Amino acid sequence: MDNYLPLVVMLVLAVVFVFGSLVTTKFVAPSRPTVAKQDPYECGIVPSREAPQRFPVRFFLVAMIFIIFDIEIIFLYPWAVYHRELGAYGLIEMLMFSVAVLVSFLYLLSKGALDWGTVKKVSPLQPLRTSESSIRRVGLEGRPSRPSEVGAP
Amino acid sequence: MIAGMFAQLGVPTDAPFAVPEVAWSALTPLLILIVGALALLVVTALVPRTLPVGFFTVTTVAVAAGAAVASLGSWDRVTDPDRGPYMAVAGAITLDGFSVLVTALLAITVVLVALLADGYLRREGLGAAEFSVLVLLSASGGVMMALANDLIVMFLGLEVLSIALYVLAGFQGDRRESQESAMKYFLLGAFASAFLLYGIALVYGATGSTNLGEIAGFLARDVPSEQGLLLGGMAMLIVGFGFKIGVVPFQSWVPDVYQGAPTPVTAFMASGVKVAGFAALLRVIVSALSVQAQDWRPVMWVLAMLTLVVGPAMAIVQTDVKRMLAYSSISHAGFILIGVQAASDRGTAGALFYLFAYSFMALGAFGVVSLVARQGDVGVDLDRFRGLSKRRPGLALVFAVFLLGQTGVPLTSGFMAKFSVIGAAVASESYALAMVAMLTSVVGAFAYLRVIVAMYLGDDEEMAEEGTRRVQIPAAAGLALGLALAVTVTLGVLPSTVLDAARDAVPARLSPSR
Repeated sequence: MDNYLPLVVMLVLAVVFVFGSLVTTKFVAPSRPTVAKQDPYECGIVPSREAPQRFPVRFFLVAMIFIIFDIEIIFLYPWAVYHRELGAYGLIEMLMFSVAVLVSFLYLLSKGALDWGTVKKVSPLQPLRTSESSIRRVGLEGRPSRPSEVGAP
Repeated sequence: MIAGMFAQLGVPTDAPFAVPEVAWSALTPLLILIVGALALLVVTALVPRTLPVGFFTVTTVAVAAGAAVASLGSWDRVTDPDRGPYMAVAGAITLDGFSVLVTALLAITVVLVALLADGYLRREGLGAAEFSVLVLLSASGGVMMALANDLIVMFLGLEVLSIALYVLAGFQGDRRESQESAMKYFLLGAFASAFLLYGIALVYGATGSTNLGEIAGFLARDVPSEQGLLLGGMAMLIVGFGFKIGVVPFQSWVPDVYQGAPTPVTAFMASGVKVAGFAALLRVIVSALSVQAQDWRPVMWVLAMLTLVVGPAMAIVQTDVKRMLAYSSISHAGFILIGVQAASDRGTAGALFYLFAYSFMALGAFGVVSLVARQGDVGVDLDRFRGLSKRRPGLALVFAVFLLGQTGVPLTSGFMAKFSVIGAAVASESYALAMVAMLTSVVGAFAYLRVIVAMYLGDDEEMAEEGTRRVQIPAAAGLALGLALAVTVTLGVLPSTVLDAARDAVPARLSPSR
């Protein structure tokens, strides 16, 4: 059972850290909410109104490319160190793995993951869905004025 | 550097690497699914224009049917008493009647889901390429779970199955319910995976192996010095699997996720995913940990009892048919747990037969719901089904058969399925559970009969207001409903083939060190 002592310590530390931080914040931190603090964070710029139209978030595709090659490297490096011992078997396994990884990269490319600049093709919005969804049409009519605008100095 | 680290850890670095023998033939169904999915991905990436939905439907059906045929092709080999089940890839996977049957069932559910999704994807204007690839990959994870003879391989299969499903649940990204469904499923699924992984670690600590055959062999030979460790591990495994198969008290995600996900995906969750989850549960708990049956049987008894009571009780108060079917899916999980709880070969066979029968009824029922819904996957209230028999008599009849089958009416597969698990419970002397099962199936019948009454006796007022629009039945969806109906009726009248197959499909316990 001694072997599991570090695990138990780890578990206890994790629980103590989570609840400890929550409880400490609750009691120690002063609560002085202001309008600016409660606004959604937008890169330090005070948000004046909601985005008038849908815009593509390209970062996640770059992150995907990073993950793909990150994972490939994680497996390629140990294989490169031991490739002599692993022989033909290891080579075939690595090739199969690399093909699967490259297929996903190919798919990402076809989705325009590396196309920068103006977006050529945006999937058309279906009018039936926009009323239900969070997407708003261009324009300001029917949009509630934000309380932060009223209260801002 | 790495060699030095291994040396410090006591891993022999100069020992020659033993190349495991990969029996590719044993992996054929899995490879067909994965290669099919990757090939589809390459085609969509390279072809500059958007391919028609029909192309993806046909390809997915062909790939999944190929996997089913490839799997059933080895049925004679693994059930032959002279040759019997065997292991492949260094004992990581087992090919026995169980894995063959579950693999084939999973592949067939993919065929039906692809057929149902054809018209749905056209109506909703969703990307058929990604849908097909994700369904195939998800099924490949399920197949991996069915084949696994090692807890790590099983966990990998579960993750492949789940991650594809998280995306599929949120496939209709413009609908808020679909987003909610994906988010809930992801958070609770990840939570369940953590439980499962912790359980695997504790069981490994208690038995010294993650290989199911080794674990069974160890427990048969000696008593683990850390009994608490094993019990804790087993409890965590049951919690993890319990989340995945949606039994009370781990069912809270089921109604919201089932209701929010696109209906063909819901159909896959209720059929294929349940099959894979129960396959893992049967192989790990019932088969590998059978020596500990006196420890886990009471737990299963309580879980089954709770599920049998809560599922139908919640189903009868629903007015949304899709949500009602979600709760009914919980109550069916309770029935399958009766077979698990019996802890006998008969119980396992009963659970397998139940999974087989329920998969087709669930696919059919959710298929009808997906057809009746308006664009945007809305409008599946009970009111919308009122007077369906006058507008679409065929569709109403088919839906009625699926609902009666889930009630357990004789001459449908549901009756034989309920009979086989309750029979197994009685044989294992779980009389109270058998009694409760029969009583709650009467309660649950109210939920199904209410829909049937609405379809046949409800008046058609709403439809008159809405105009002349009839429920459209695309050819592919019609074919899927026909197949599900054929199986449901055939299994009710002539169940012997599948019953015998389920009896031959009890998981084998093979250990690589023997």
